[in-house]
Amino acid sequence: MKEITAIIRPNKMSATKDALDKIGYPSMTAIPVLGKGKQRGISGELNFYIQPRLLAKRYSTGMKYIPKRLLSIVVNDEDVDEVTKTLIEINQTAQIGDGKIFVESIDEVIRIRTGEKGKLALK
Amino acid sequence: MKMVRAIVRPEWTEEVTDGLAEAGYYSLTKINVFGRGKQKGITVGDMHYDELAKTMIMMAVEDEAVDEVIKIISGKAYTGNMGDGKIFVSTVEDAYTISSGEKGL
Repeated sequence: MKEITAIIRPNKMSATKDALDKIGYPSMTAIPVLGKGKQRGISGELNFYIQPRLLAKRYSTGMKYIPKRLLSIVVNDEDVDEVTKTLIEINQTAQIGDGKIFVESIDEVIRIRTGEKGKLALK
Repeated sequence: MKMVRAIVRPEWTEEVTDGLAEAGYYSLTKINVFGRGKQKGITVGDMHYDELAKTMIMMAVEDEAVDEVIKIISGKAYTGNMGDGKIFVSTVEDAYTISSGEKGL
């Protein structure tokens, strides 16, 4: 089993949920998070004049962190490609800040209600 | 590729992220979390706090950068007291950039 951790734009949430519903993976955990990427926040786009004495106090322009939504989806090994492909298709705007997807291995899944393990718990 | 999850004191988060940025590791995600450790929370006078506020810093880095990142985080978040937090490292098999659809960081 694999865990797909996707960091996406918050306004793409409902489109992503619909698309995943359609291909049969409705279960997920979503967490609102803050983050930044290679571009160090959106400092460039939100530039404005700032007084030198404030700059000396390490005030800076722009946003240091950008609000994102973190999705955690656990799927069987053979479904990873389909889910990542859908996530990329739906969330791609070809601009910076679309997010990242990470795939990690999960050793065991247990459904708490019944105690079922592995593939049974994911069904 | 490795995923580094560090649970640090919320008031030291900026210190840690600034230190990481200085060394060239800008990309990260931070999450406000609650948790407790071996000490089962904290007791102040008669009040017992079961879960304490922490910040989780999550970042994916290349294998060879893991040691340096861990060194920076543990150096910057260190106060020497209980509750400084923990760092977990796990393996990331694949990473995709959504805007280009490319593999890798």
